[in-house]
Amino acid sequence: MTHHHSSTPRGAAPGARERDRGAARLRAVTVSAATASLIAAGAVAFSLPGATHHASSGSAASSTQQSTSGSGTSGTSSGTSSSGSSSSSSSGSESSSSSGSSSSGLSSPSSVPSSSSGGSQVTSGGS
Amino acid sequence: MHQIMSSTALWYASRATGVVSLVLLSAVMIIGILVNRQGRLPGLPRFAVLGLHRNLSLLAVAFVAVHVLTAVADSYVSISLAAIVIPFVSAYEPLWLGLGAVSLDLMAAIIVTSLLRRHLGRRTWRAVHWLAYASWPVAVVHSVFSSKDLQSGPLLYLALACIAAVIGALAWRVARARAAIPRAGRVPGLMGDPSALARAGDR
Repeated sequence: MTHHHSSTPRGAAPGARERDRGAARLRAVTVSAATASLIAAGAVAFSLPGATHHASSGSAASSTQQSTSGSGTSGTSSGTSSSGSSSSSSSGSESSSSSGSSSSGLSSPSSVPSSSSGGSQVTSGGS
Repeated sequence: MHQIMSSTALWYASRATGVVSLVLLSAVMIIGILVNRQGRLPGLPRFAVLGLHRNLSLLAVAFVAVHVLTAVADSYVSISLAAIVIPFVSAYEPLWLGLGAVSLDLMAAIIVTSLLRRHLGRRTWRAVHWLAYASWPVAVVHSVFSSKDLQSGPLLYLALACIAAVIGALAWRVARARAAIPRAGRVPGLMGDPSALARAGDR
């Protein structure tokens, strides 16, 4: 225990020095893998369908409460990415436009959730 | 609106960590296969390859934990706590999330037995560790079918690359094992033929 250091002394056996070098490489590879994984997770989160749109629509949605025409255009552009939002935008012209923009970001994962808190004013009620 | 935004952030975090978890678990599988057949990674001694296998496993488990917890915490889809470990009880995508729960349970068994390895026999630990071979394909099916993210675009190619890499590693392992069988078969031949034994001793 007392002789175990991260860097071996000069007179240490070559095997021990080799072992320390291997441990240092292992540490470096592990840290690199962890860092790369975190960066990859961030990159994937931003590259997922609707992620960047939703980030912008968050601010756009607040402005749609005053001006419905702007949200209408954003709703139609996002309607191309998902089928669910296109049906809701056709049924409700101005009131569901903000929900259409928010659902375009959310509907990409898969099917409509069975029960959700946001669903009451968003997609399921509209359809 | 803020609630929707934060919920969406959790939803995206869950999906992103799920993708990274798949890649990490594939890497763990590949290294595990390589280590078992005395495989080496360039620049790393054998004990470091074993350590990398363990460290990447822990990293993958951490990402899986974040993936599961964010999926439960976000309010866009309702996934109960029970659905994390009990398969096919989720109200949302019961089959595909159920497979995720199966994979997580198998993973938990591997982790627990690895932590208790000193107290278990090597045979028991090894038998449970073989569950990894069942856990990974189940996790892949869960990943691909529970979300549309991995069904098209670059993430589809990423999933295919993970599958191809693991299949390639498995094929390499099977090929190495087959190549080792004739060598083992030589032993009875040598034992039965004393002249062959003498020739082998001359070498």
